[in-house]
Amino acid sequence: MNAPRAAGVDTRAAIRATGLRKRYAGLLAVDGLDIEISSGEFFGLLGPNGSGKTTTLHMLATLIRPSAGSATVAGFDVVREPVSVRAAIGLVFQESALDRTLSVAENLRFAGLLHDLPLRVIGERQRELLELFGLADKRDQPVATLSGGMRRALDIVRGVLHEPRILFLDEPTIGLDLPNRRRIWRFIERLRARTGMTVLLTTHYLEEADGCDRVAFIRRGRLVESGAPRTWVERLGRHMLEVEGPDLDGLAAALEAKLGAGLREGDVAYFRCRDEDVAAIARLQAEMGSRASAWRIRRPNLNDVFLWVADGKDLG
Amino acid sequence: MRMGPRFRPIYAVLERELLRMFRQRTRLVAAMVRPLIWLLVIGGGFAAFIGEARGVDYKSFLVPGVLGMTMLFGAMLAALTTVYDKESGVMRMMVIAPMPHAWIVIAKVVSAAAAALLQAILLLVLLVALGYAGRGAEWGLLAAALAATSLACAGVGMLTAAFSRSLDNFAGIMNFVIFPVFFLSGSLYPVRDLPPALGWLATANPYTYGVDLLKHALLPGAGSADFGIGLDLAVLALATAVTVAVASWRFSRESAYEPMIHVLADRAK
Repeated sequence: MNAPRAAGVDTRAAIRATGLRKRYAGLLAVDGLDIEISSGEFFGLLGPNGSGKTTTLHMLATLIRPSAGSATVAGFDVVREPVSVRAAIGLVFQESALDRTLSVAENLRFAGLLHDLPLRVIGERQRELLELFGLADKRDQPVATLSGGMRRALDIVRGVLHEPRILFLDEPTIGLDLPNRRRIWRFIERLRARTGMTVLLTTHYLEEADGCDRVAFIRRGRLVESGAPRTWVERLGRHMLEVEGPDLDGLAAALEAKLGAGLREGDVAYFRCRDEDVAAIARLQAEMGSRASAWRIRRPNLNDVFLWVADGKDLG
Repeated sequence: MRMGPRFRPIYAVLERELLRMFRQRTRLVAAMVRPLIWLLVIGGGFAAFIGEARGVDYKSFLVPGVLGMTMLFGAMLAALTTVYDKESGVMRMMVIAPMPHAWIVIAKVVSAAAAALLQAILLLVLLVALGYAGRGAEWGLLAAALAATSLACAGVGMLTAAFSRSLDNFAGIMNFVIFPVFFLSGSLYPVRDLPPALGWLATANPYTYGVDLLKHALLPGAGSADFGIGLDLAVLALATAVTVAVASWRFSRESAYEPMIHVLADRAK
C-alpha cells in the first residue's frame, strides 16, 4: 500500500493507521487498530493501564515496528520512511528523556543539535520556550536539581524545540501533583494556541481528556469507541444514579430491571438514566429509595464513560 | 559554526561526551595514573628482572603498550556510556532524532575515539615530559597510529555496548573483553616470543596491531614490532569497519533499544 503523499491528503490526515498490530512473544499488545487524526486536531487515546496506548504511540513514532498493518504520519510511512516521520513529530515519553548531569540549556542544545538545528535557532527558541514554560531562570541549573514538574515541562520544551507538526504526549502528567498537572496543561494549551500543532495524547486522567477534540478508547489492544468527549457523555445518559444500601445486591437487581445493567464498585452501584424526565427518577426514588442508605443523582462525566467502557459495556 | 546536514547530530554527541569527560575529573585522572603505574611500577619491576625485550630496555618497550592501554580503556569506557544512556533515558533523545539509528552508532564511535585520542595525547605529553617518549619518534606515523587505534578500540567498545543490556555486567565486560584484549596483545611482551596458543590469540586480536603500530612510531627501527606498518593499518581499518557495521546492524534492529521501550510499556501494567 502506498503512502498518500499529495499535499491535499497531508493536510487532512496528520495520522492514519490501518489494521495496526503488534505482537510480542505470546502477547497481542495492539490488535488491528484503525485511527485517523486530522491536522490540527487534539486527539486523546484513552484506556486502562496495559491496554496498548504506549505501544501504539511508539509504533506511530517509528520506535517499534508494527507486526502487521500500516500507518502514515504527516504523510510518511512509519516503516519505510522513519526518518521523515521523526523529522515531523515531537515525542514526550512517559519517562524522562533528559540528561540529569547536564544543565537545562545544555540539554536543549543537545536535543536541538540532534535535530540538526543551527545553534542560533536553538538559542532563540530556547529563550522563547523557557519563557513560555516558566523556566527562564533555570537555564543554567543542572536538570538533577529541578523539581518533577519542572523536569516534565523541560521535557516538553525538548519535544517541541524543532517545531514539530505533530506532538505525541505519552501520559504527560503522570506522577505529578494537581497544581503541576494544571501548569503542564496550561503550557500545552498555550503551545497549541501558538502553533496549531496536532497533538496525540495518551492519558488515564479522564478530566484531562475533556479538552480533547476527539477521544478514542482502547481496551486490550482494540479500539472500542471514539468520538467527541461531550458526545460520549451524552450517549452514556442524562443522569447517573449512585446508590448504597444494606442489601445492595437486591436493590441493584431491582434497579437493573428498570434502568438496565449498572456498575458495581465496592459498596456503590451506578446506573445510567437515559431519560431526561426527572419525574421518572423521582418516582423510582419514591418506590425504592427507602431500601437505600444513599441515593444520589448527578450529571455523568468522562470518568463514568471510562468505567463503563472499561467494564466492557456498550455505550449504546 | 557551520556544519552540513547530518553532522550536527554527530557534533552533539561528541560535545556531550567531551563535556562529560572533563567534568568527571576522576575518570580523567585515572586514565593518566593507570598507565603510569604500569610503566613505572610493573615496568620498573620487570626491567630489573628481565632487563630488555627484543633489544629494547623493558620500560621503553612498555611505552607503546601503556599508550595503547589509555586508548583501549578510554574508548571502551566512553563507548560503554551508551549502555548508561540506554538506562538513564538519554537514548530516547537520540532514537527520536530524525536520523537513521546507525548514525547514533557512528556518532558514539567518533566521540569515544575522540575522547580516547585526547587522553592519549595528554598522556603522551606527560611521557615526553618525563623523558619516556619522544626521542626519535616518527610523529606522522604516531598520529596515524593514535587515530587508527582509538577508532578500532571505540568500534570494539561500541560492539560490546550494542550487545549489553545493562551496566550490571560491567565487571563481566572488564573481565571478558577489556583485560583479555589488553593481555593478549603485544603490549607487555613481543608476540613472536609467546607460546603458540597465546601467539595465535594475540595474532587474532586486532588491538595487537594498534600496539604494533605504536611500536613502529615510537621506537622506529628498534625491532620491537612484530608486523609490518601496512598490515597494522589494514587490520585496524578492517576491525573498525566490521565492528561499526555489526554494531549499527544490531542497533538498527530496534532490539538494541527495545528493552528500554519495553520498560516504558511494561511500567504501565
